[in-house]
Amino acid sequence: MKKADGILIICLMIFSVLSLIPLFNGSIMPSTAVVKIRNEEIMRIDLSQDGDYDVDGTLGNVHISVKDGSVAVTQENSPNHYCSMQGYVDSVNTPIVCLPNDTVITIEGADEEEDTVIS
Amino acid sequence: MRRSPIQKMVRLAMLTAAGILLQLIESFFPVVMIVPGYKLGLANIVGLYALYAFGLREMVIVTLLRIVLAALGQGTLFSVAFMLSMAGGTLAICAMAAAYKSKIFSIYGVSVAGAAAHSIGQVAAITILYQQYFMQLYLPILVALSIVSGLCIGLLTHSLLKRMPMDKRQAAV
Repeated sequence: MKKADGILIICLMIFSVLSLIPLFNGSIMPSTAVVKIRNEEIMRIDLSQDGDYDVDGTLGNVHISVKDGSVAVTQENSPNHYCSMQGYVDSVNTPIVCLPNDTVITIEGADEEEDTVIS
Repeated sequence: MRRSPIQKMVRLAMLTAAGILLQLIESFFPVVMIVPGYKLGLANIVGLYALYAFGLREMVIVTLLRIVLAALGQGTLFSVAFMLSMAGGTLAICAMAAAYKSKIFSIYGVSVAGAAAHSIGQVAAITILYQQYFMQLYLPILVALSIVSGLCIGLLTHSLLKRMPMDKRQAAV
């Protein structure tokens, strides 16, 4: 280990911490879940009402469940089941991504100004 | 004893084969931590070893061949996974080459630079391919984890170089 190695590692650490800061600025109440499959908007789900929905992903049926203002993928066909393992999500900063199914679920806040979330 | 070009070619081919094997084995055991899709990047041992045992050109050859041939073996050539791998690999090659040429980093620094560049390249590729800008939110976690994996790979390659030393003068026939 040389001195430059330490400097590089510390720089990378600072970078990763600094790029986390914009995440905590957005404090918008989540209200709608937007389901996109192959970049096409399929469904907008009102998060204030509990319910279950089914959409067709690339590898088959994707079961979406809404409970207490949060949304989760509960059943899907994929090799590793990352998106159903993710569980319930209620943050505008955390999307549910299911790449094998080309399905993306994002949560939008009450006001539709997306630019304030990721700046 | 002077090494013949064929000997070097065979060694590079063996390195590439070892890299493909490492990449395939690693894809069977996904390290599911907080971040989905995070991997240690064991295959980079081969690239790093080629860089220190042979040189820059050989590292580029071994890494690019490894990515293409592993994708060919898995049947994912020119798929999204291949594009991500390629984007990460290319950027990692550039970062490792720059870090190696600057001569101020040890093998650990070069490895960490490569791992971080690999993460950044993959996130950039996902952002461009899927037009999903929130993927950048993964970047801090991925970069932080890549420090860890970079140090691990650096350590492994360092001990590999100690056990399997190769004289650069003789190898560069």
